[in-house]
Amino acid sequence: MKGLTLDHFLVFSTMLFSLGIYGLLTRRNLIAMLMSVELVLNAAALNFAAFHHYLHGGDPAGAVFPIMIIAIAAAEAAVALAIFITLFRHDKHLDVQHADTLKH
Amino acid sequence: MHAVFFYLLAAFILFSASFVVTAHNLFRSAMGLIAALLGVAGLYLLMDAQFLSAIQITVYIGGIVVLMVFVILLVTDVTQKLFQQCAGWRKGIVGVLAFLLCFLMSSMMLAYQFHPPKPVPAKSASVEDIGHALLSPNRGGFILPFEVISLVLIAALIGAVTVARSDEETQEAQKS
Repeated sequence: MKGLTLDHFLVFSTMLFSLGIYGLLTRRNLIAMLMSVELVLNAAALNFAAFHHYLHGGDPAGAVFPIMIIAIAAAEAAVALAIFITLFRHDKHLDVQHADTLKH
Repeated sequence: MHAVFFYLLAAFILFSASFVVTAHNLFRSAMGLIAALLGVAGLYLLMDAQFLSAIQITVYIGGIVVLMVFVILLVTDVTQKLFQQCAGWRKGIVGVLAFLLCFLMSSMMLAYQFHPPKPVPAKSASVEDIGHALLSPNRGGFILPFEVISLVLIAALIGAVTVARSDEETQEAQKS
């Protein structure tokens, strides 16, 4: 493990996070925005794992949180994609600039 | 050696992540997401966290991204560039802001010296430790969050099915 430190992972996950934020703000398609959110969540989970590995000597709490994040991401993706399908059936597009209503 | 792998993986992940946020075709974006998630699984392996790496591949790539690919195929014509792009000047501004965010956050993290409660050698939790922690009701156990997560998942899945059902299906179900 020589040469690799916590800082490497922190800086890298910050980059991944910023890329995700960039995608979230520039994309206009809802599915593309959801994919950017997945990048942000991954950066957060990576940080948890890095801290648990480098600072806390493998305290299992640090490994449990990424698992929770992945489970929440799965729930979020399921609900969001269901909403997208309904929205698409109704409006025939998934453009955030024109999707201003969720009601029929 | 580890550092070389780290830099290679980091470059790979950043490349595929930038593909995710810029590709014009949604399907290609999803493929980029698969590549990025695989790379992060590789980083977990580099940190000796085999269980997290396996979860990342099976649940994230095998579950979430495959679900997304299905929805992309359902709602868009992948042969067309169906979705509109954001204006160029807005992309520029957001790009500068994201770069600033990245720079500020990383300099903040590098300036702050993280100190462990007591210095310990770098190691990761074994699968056994994680299993015990997840299901132990004692101090340091996560049985309550674990159960709550399972409730959240079942509620989300039932909610997803209810929301995604078409009107005709709902009417038919009400008739019978």
